Amino acid sequence: MPVWVDPEKCNGCNGSSQPPCLRMCPGDLIVKDHAENKAYLKYPEDCWDCLPCVKVCPEEAIEFHLSFQFGSKGARLIPHVPRKGSQITWDAVDLKGNKETFTIRTKIMQVALDEKVEGGAEAIDFSI
Amino acid sequence: MERKTIHTDFLIIGGGTAGCMAAVEMKERYPQCSVTIMEKAHIDRSGCLAGGMNAINAYLNKGETPESFVRYVRADSCGLVREDLVQSMAELFEYGVKKVEKWGLPILCDDDGNYIPRGRWNIKINGESLKPILAKAARSAGAKVYNWVTVTNLLTKDDRVVGAVGFSLRNGTFYVVQAKATLIATGGAAGIYRPNNPGDASHKTWYSPYNTGAGYAMGIRAGAEMTSYEMRYVAIRTKDAIAPTGTIALGAKAPQVNSDGERFMVKRYADLGGDGAPTPYRAHGPVQEIKEGRGPVYLDTRGLSEEKVRDLKSAYLDMYPSQVLYWLANGIDPAKEPVEVQTTEPYVVGGHCQAGYWVDKDRRTTLKGLYAAGDVAGGAPFKFVSGCWAEGIIAARAMGRDIEKMDSVAAEDHLVAAEEERAFKPLRGHGKVRHGIRPADFEARLQKIMEEYAGGVSTHYEMNEKMLTIARDRLAKLPEEVEHLVAGDLHQLMKVHEVIDRIDVAQVLVEHLLYRRETRWPTYQSRTDYPDRDDANWLKFVNSIRDPKTGGIEMVTRPYEQVVPGDRYNAK
Repeated sequence: MPVWVDPEKCNGCNGSSQPPCLRMCPGDLIVKDHAENKAYLKYPEDCWDCLPCVKVCPEEAIEFHLSFQFGSKGARLIPHVPRKGSQITWDAVDLKGNKETFTIRTKIMQVALDEKVEGGAEAIDFSI
Repeated sequence: MERKTIHTDFLIIGGGTAGCMAAVEMKERYPQCSVTIMEKAHIDRSGCLAGGMNAINAYLNKGETPESFVRYVRADSCGLVREDLVQSMAELFEYGVKKVEKWGLPILCDDDGNYIPRGRWNIKINGESLKPILAKAARSAGAKVYNWVTVTNLLTKDDRVVGAVGFSLRNGTFYVVQAKATLIATGGAAGIYRPNNPGDASHKTWYSPYNTGAGYAMGIRAGAEMTSYEMRYVAIRTKDAIAPTGTIALGAKAPQVNSDGERFMVKRYADLGGDGAPTPYRAHGPVQEIKEGRGPVYLDTRGLSEEKVRDLKSAYLDMYPSQVLYWLANGIDPAKEPVEVQTTEPYVVGGHCQAGYWVDKDRRTTLKGLYAAGDVAGGAPFKFVSGCWAEGIIAARAMGRDIEKMDSVAAEDHLVAAEEERAFKPLRGHGKVRHGIRPADFEARLQKIMEEYAGGVSTHYEMNEKMLTIARDRLAKLPEEVEHLVAGDLHQLMKVHEVIDRIDVAQVLVEHLLYRRETRWPTYQSRTDYPDRDDANWLKFVNSIRDPKTGGIEMVTRPYEQVVPGDRYNAK
């Protein structure tokens, strides 16, 4: 599974109808289970590994995994995106647990926790 | 479903690289005009740029001119290109890049404030946030954005495009957009051929898997003239991770070697420029090495300094982070081990190659009221990000000039109703149609035909008339099976339309591949029955028009015109 939402860490962005991870997925692959107040990747086979969902999560609840066919589990790549500033930091951890950190210039773009959908009708909930 | 009608001066279908830049240009030059963007995902992270970019790959570094760019792109495209289009976009590279830098894109500069080149036409950027930067600019300029709208068709009246229709992925609202002028900027088409990897990596493709040829298909169905679909694009990428190799080849100056350590491009393609051979040959070279038993093929990164390896990883984190995770998960140090590369399945894309709408210099399509920019527009390869910006700007200016002569015209009600019926029918069939076909299964059928008979990876991208005729015949059965497609929800309804669109694109593609009886772009277009380039007969564009009434595809040719003097096959 390319990305995985950790249900322990996901808080559903509280009452958000459409949390940032759900909105920023270019493939519309993440949904929110409103009863459980958790987001999850509904269509893993359609994931492009592009990572906006991981970078935008305010709780850092979304983990990036390599598809198992490409390599062993255990290595980790974790982006830390601050609310302000002009740098993104990445922790890269190899199979032996060695960590390398990269700090890269970027423009931090604010993302709201929720957003209204255009159009007259209420959003149809296909989440479960 | 609820129907909502929108009136706008300018409609932009697709809020990507070209569409966002076009929106800004429209609002800046024609502030009194309304601009509406219909976007399939959320504009902040949609399409090709979702993951970010680490370079601008079409830029005139010091000493270069639009003419030197045309000479390079012409030679790189094996002597056949729309020089007027390439030149006009090159004239606007600086304008576009400077704008985006002003909006906040970090561009790497030296101590004197000059951009740092990465190659002859490339500059380095920290573009992890490139897409949200563009989206914010479009919104701030005053464009009205409708996110999560899958546009299903153009609306036409008396051979003029008068808007478009689509449905909301969130609530099923059926949007009818009535526009004085419409810009199509939906990108190219992935998913026509079977991808490199199965399972949960089947969308681990070079091109955005969410660019599914919608803009091509809408134009095909409306009878727009299309060009050069036969010049497919095959990318050379890192093995498995499918990450860009330019980052290594240009950024770390690593040469391509085969399993014997031979620099095969230098050895076998010296007359074409070796490692600097035209792009189709840089894919063709490794394909031949592997086909003839000298694979795997690598980029030789051995001996890179620790600092260079860190630079390489940083560059990937800005654009394609999974390459870094791949190295971590496999214990690979590129300084000790060369990086294996592979070629991707073919794509139809006008930004790297030339497949797309046949447009005039102002990016007007052959349909009145419809303009095209970016990967969906044909004839101008080597567009990449900055060329898409340039085309968005050119189209926006032309639309602004033309709009004074254009009224807002409504499409006929019965046509809108028929399209609404077509759009939602798969949703209503769910649970009622016996043995309904899921979009994923339909996609597998399409990709099987294309992979096996129209030059997929497993046949080393090669094809002949017999194979292509089988592809044509098998594809011809698919349109009548569309009625069996079912969708359980709006997301699946989008997937249904994505596969329907790709059938239309694939049929046109096969006609183009059949028609050009030469091999001009090896691997992109390898005809084993016509293996040589044939300037005497084929130095011209192959175009197609599908008759909206009969569905028949008519093939025509258009002449090549040399604008910039010089040797067409040698840029020096």
